[in-house]
Amino acid sequence: MTVLAEGMNVFETDKKPSGTVCYLLNPQSVISLIDSGKLREHILLVRGGTTTFLAPALTMGAIGIITMSGAPESHLGILTREFQTPCVMTAYLTEGSGSRYVPGETDDSHFDEIVEALNGKNVVLDCSDEAVGKVVLLEE
Amino acid sequence: MTITEAKTAEYAKRYDDDDDGLRFQPLEYVGNFKGLEPVPDGILGDKIMRSRAKSGVLEKVSHEDVLRDQFTLDELNDLNNYLAWNIWDVLVMRATEGVSGMIPRQEYEILAFMNEFYRYPEFMRLITDKIGAQGVIDIGESARSEIGTKVNCVHDWCLGAVAFGMGRCGLLAGEWVRADDYVEESNIILKFMQRILWGKRQDGYILNSQDRYRCLIHDQEILDQLMGQVVDFDQGSPSQHTFEQFNATAELLAFFDHYDCRLGLGDTGPYPLPDGRLLIVRDLFVNEEVFHWSDVCEGLPHCYTLAVVIDPEAMGLREIRVNDISTTFTIPKNYVPHITGGAVFVREKWDTPMGDVYSVPISELEPHMEKLRNSTYLMYKKTAKMSRHTLCLNGIYSYYIEMILPHLRKAGAYEEVCAKKDFWEIDQRVMNYYYEITKRNFVQVVVPQKIFSGEGYLPFSDEADLRASKYLWS
Repeated sequence: MTVLAEGMNVFETDKKPSGTVCYLLNPQSVISLIDSGKLREHILLVRGGTTTFLAPALTMGAIGIITMSGAPESHLGILTREFQTPCVMTAYLTEGSGSRYVPGETDDSHFDEIVEALNGKNVVLDCSDEAVGKVVLLEE
Repeated sequence: MTITEAKTAEYAKRYDDDDDGLRFQPLEYVGNFKGLEPVPDGILGDKIMRSRAKSGVLEKVSHEDVLRDQFTLDELNDLNNYLAWNIWDVLVMRATEGVSGMIPRQEYEILAFMNEFYRYPEFMRLITDKIGAQGVIDIGESARSEIGTKVNCVHDWCLGAVAFGMGRCGLLAGEWVRADDYVEESNIILKFMQRILWGKRQDGYILNSQDRYRCLIHDQEILDQLMGQVVDFDQGSPSQHTFEQFNATAELLAFFDHYDCRLGLGDTGPYPLPDGRLLIVRDLFVNEEVFHWSDVCEGLPHCYTLAVVIDPEAMGLREIRVNDISTTFTIPKNYVPHITGGAVFVREKWDTPMGDVYSVPISELEPHMEKLRNSTYLMYKKTAKMSRHTLCLNGIYSYYIEMILPHLRKAGAYEEVCAKKDFWEIDQRVMNYYYEITKRNFVQVVVPQKIFSGEGYLPFSDEADLRASKYLWS
């Protein structure tokens, strides 16, 4: 089992959603994904931990979410718990530069490295632990 | 479904006097108490903060105390210190969420805070002059016999914690005011907050954190009416799933209609039920008609109120908090699979009489969810087209207008402040700050650091004059 990234687990669940990681850069990319009808084929990767950016994706059945900032107490954390959509927050790569998100201090290179490592990968989310959520590479 | 095995619920121990509660997060707070032991979150944090107070204002206070117009300097500083910790307690982990990608929330938040500090005292004085101190207390008390009311924890907390606490903190951080400026206005804000919250709770406290994170305000008659409509679910049943999804879908639009903030959500409880379960009464405000962007919510009611019944034994509940921004958190974190009963009610308008509130059977929720989903998507596409400036202005409104709107409405003063006090105008100083706050990391780093370390809530000095406003612009 190859764990690509770990982060805060919003809530414990035995759901194990899988799909291709899709990085959503801006609202237009969210709208495009929804309009494509392929929302449920993807694990969504986003930078922030706020709710509005992913609002329509949440209501229309997003299966799993990875964020690069935020905590279970963030609005997105609260809403993914309510939707029971597995969510790993403030994810960091298990290999690579070792960079960690620090509010107000982290520059773009931290986020770029995570996007580069995860976007397009076929993964499954393991959110069975109380505290730590894992992004696991699905072997071909 | 959770994979955690059920354990014996111990949450009731949290209500023993000598219990210090659990920690919900690992951080600690210092604030204005440098050199003393750092303060944790939760029940223990409340105990420590109250033990450091110089006055009795953080203990149960009397009707006579609340009617008195003037706080002492010690009382003002005790409230300042406690609110600063309380803000940290409820928001420090949320503050890690970073940029929105859609709404510039950090920017609009600080501008709204500062605008509230400048402008609310005038409105609060107008309301108090109009209906008297007892009238203000009565506004708070009205929440006890209503559901779907925005006279609730988060709005009432915002009157003091946001308008005074974070507003003054932001202005101090920007060096736009000094610590001993605006003492008179600070007293007006905090007294108004105290009266509303005291009137709502009726137990002498003002905040849920003082009562081990309980907000048990509703009259038994209201609770009986709600419980009369509650349907019990089997775990994993279609009814449970529908209720769960409805809750989430409405909550999401409630957040969104209030610009990604907590003002759309209002929990009270946990009310213990005779069968050992717990009731949370949850208001989800999905259509605030005062905001122009709510046009996409047409056809939805002002508020859905949910009776959410949780089985504490099934989830092995160890602690439950209804915090001062109206949000429920638990340990273990995931209470949703253990919702074993529920009911949904509709309040069409903010002033719909309680007798006209009606329930919607679980089996009839799907059309409501469809409307909620459609409105959410319309709101999203509408918001995505807005400029940063428009989003900031709307965001300021969503705080500055919204946080005092319920109290203005209840006082019958909303039209008056619009007509006579230019309620929808932003103070020119704050509009000027709009161009300053993105410089030198002010909004991204300086203000959050001041707010969440507690360093920014400077106390009033011993020389502060209780009559002082600001007399020198420099």
